[in-house]
Amino acid sequence: MTDNEKKTSAAGAVIQSSEEEFNPRLDVTVAGIHFQNPVLTASGTLGYGQEFAHLIDLNQLGGIVVKGISAEPMPGNPSPRIYETESGMLNAIGLQNVGARKFLEEKLPFLRTLRTRCLVNVFGYSTEDYVRCIEILNEGAGIDAYELNISCPNTRCGGMVYGNDPKLTEEVVTASKRAARRPLLVKLSPNVTDITLLARAAENGGADGLTLVNTFVGMAIDVETRTPRVSNVTAGLSGPAIKPVAVRMVYQTYRAVKIPIIGIGGIAKAEDALEYVIAGASAVQVGTANFYDPGASLRIMEGIRNYCRRHRIHFADLIGTLRLPDHPTAPATEYSST
Amino acid sequence: MVTDEMVTVMENRSLTGGHFLLSLHAPRQARSTRPGQFAMVRLLEDSSVLLRRPMSIYDVRSLNSAAECATRSSEDGMTGIKPRTASSNGDRSELIQLLYKVVGRGTQLMSELRPGDEVSLLAPLGHGFFEEEYLERAKQTDEVWHVAGGIGIAALLLPAKSLAQAGIRQKLFFGGRTKEDLVGVEDFEPFMDEIVLASEDGSRGYRGYVTRPLEKALDSGYDKKLLLMACGPWAMLQATVELAKLHGQPCLVSMENRMGCGLGVCLGCSIRVKGEGHGSYERVCTEGPVFWADHVIWEKESIPKI
Repeated sequence: MTDNEKKTSAAGAVIQSSEEEFNPRLDVTVAGIHFQNPVLTASGTLGYGQEFAHLIDLNQLGGIVVKGISAEPMPGNPSPRIYETESGMLNAIGLQNVGARKFLEEKLPFLRTLRTRCLVNVFGYSTEDYVRCIEILNEGAGIDAYELNISCPNTRCGGMVYGNDPKLTEEVVTASKRAARRPLLVKLSPNVTDITLLARAAENGGADGLTLVNTFVGMAIDVETRTPRVSNVTAGLSGPAIKPVAVRMVYQTYRAVKIPIIGIGGIAKAEDALEYVIAGASAVQVGTANFYDPGASLRIMEGIRNYCRRHRIHFADLIGTLRLPDHPTAPATEYSST
Repeated sequence: MVTDEMVTVMENRSLTGGHFLLSLHAPRQARSTRPGQFAMVRLLEDSSVLLRRPMSIYDVRSLNSAAECATRSSEDGMTGIKPRTASSNGDRSELIQLLYKVVGRGTQLMSELRPGDEVSLLAPLGHGFFEEEYLERAKQTDEVWHVAGGIGIAALLLPAKSLAQAGIRQKLFFGGRTKEDLVGVEDFEPFMDEIVLASEDGSRGYRGYVTRPLEKALDSGYDKKLLLMACGPWAMLQATVELAKLHGQPCLVSMENRMGCGLGVCLGCSIRVKGEGHGSYERVCTEGPVFWADHVIWEKESIPKI
């Protein structure tokens, strides 16, 4: 808003006439973390930040979620690890990462120089693993929050064992929360019958927020050779193909828990992000789109700004503002396939 | 310096056997391309083809490419190998040329591009043939032998140009399934002292795999210091690497794999290598695509054909 556009009343208050440009606030506080805008990049899709530093202005992002880190380094799965499907991609990377200590030494110093929030995705094979990883990461300065990965579908006994069982979810979240010196988000798996049960379990365990959702377990087969397209046989499906299912899960979970939700799944443009927000997400993560369009996250952020300007609403006031029909055909929190 | 730019298609020339040569107007990217680097091509916005397609940068040229001919100066000596700039025409390079074969949905859509169309181009990417750790060896060599299988030829023209400028003797061994796969031979002619062709059906050159004539050549008591540079399908690379090892000649390989991003973040293109870096995996897009052959673990075919 320029000075010329401002109309000041006698009392000195700024009056905004309908022709006047509205300047929406995009900042939002989620799980006690203040973000300058609600667009984060998803774990494993922007590396450790540095890889994209020459392509986009990382300081414009709301946050960067770092690729899943474990207490010890992980080599990952054999090639082929990815396969493109219709409007989506399968991946089974196998949580390849440098390990928590090396992350603190080699990767965190760069991330710390950014204005952007830094969240670290954490995974392990046992509750003790998760706790140990968090304890190591606690020593590093400049981490704003942890995102507990209890939902990776691509490792043998990986997090998804936890993510499928409400009791185990509550147990690992409780232990992790106790260890964590920073806010704790829990990233849930969509590969469950009722995601609200897992969401409540995480909430009961003390989670400060939820990330919904990780990839959907999928599979593709080369019919000529009758072999799986990805060495791990099954793999996680991401990209625009999964968005409607993930939006539905955010919608259901928003009504089932009190803690805030970060929405993720197939977000490639501002409208996708806004669907999640209106369904109940307080922020969003952009994942697969970063791979094929490094500028996607920043364009989505600008698109959200334009939307808020057009609708004359601050971002935080948009969360969960879904207008339901007067007589919904099914109760909001129940899943019905009919 | 890698950039992501919207670039215009100047030409998309159909060659034999479902091959195409795509010329893109990308001056900034053309000028910063080094031999052996690659580009990621993204097709139209609303395409169901989500990911970019990795493609070797075949050539960089000036707009007035017809006027440009082989620039071969043997007086340059060894120091003429230019690790930083691939092109002989320096600042006048404006076109990036990608040689590709239609093998799936993405390349099918690419083949339908017309002059004036736009694509998004992320380039130049990767660690090429004359990066610091490879350059010393290239300078010490008497003769470079290029070994190409099928579309693998696309990675070798820019290094061939640079080596020719440096006055290094070169040989090309190039094989395909049929003569229709042997595209671009004429582009190599100005830079090669000898070209040996092979086709599995015998329609051009030796009948059989290209590694047969390569083996014969290596066997014929070669006492020179060679450097092999190979690009092609896994089985061909594996055979080439074994021959090189047997004859004690160093070999650089340009690897291919499916890629999600080309920028080193998705870890989708990682291959098994010796040593510690990133566990025992390294990324084709970042640590590669060019590796020392003996750094790669060749135990089994793990690179998908599409």
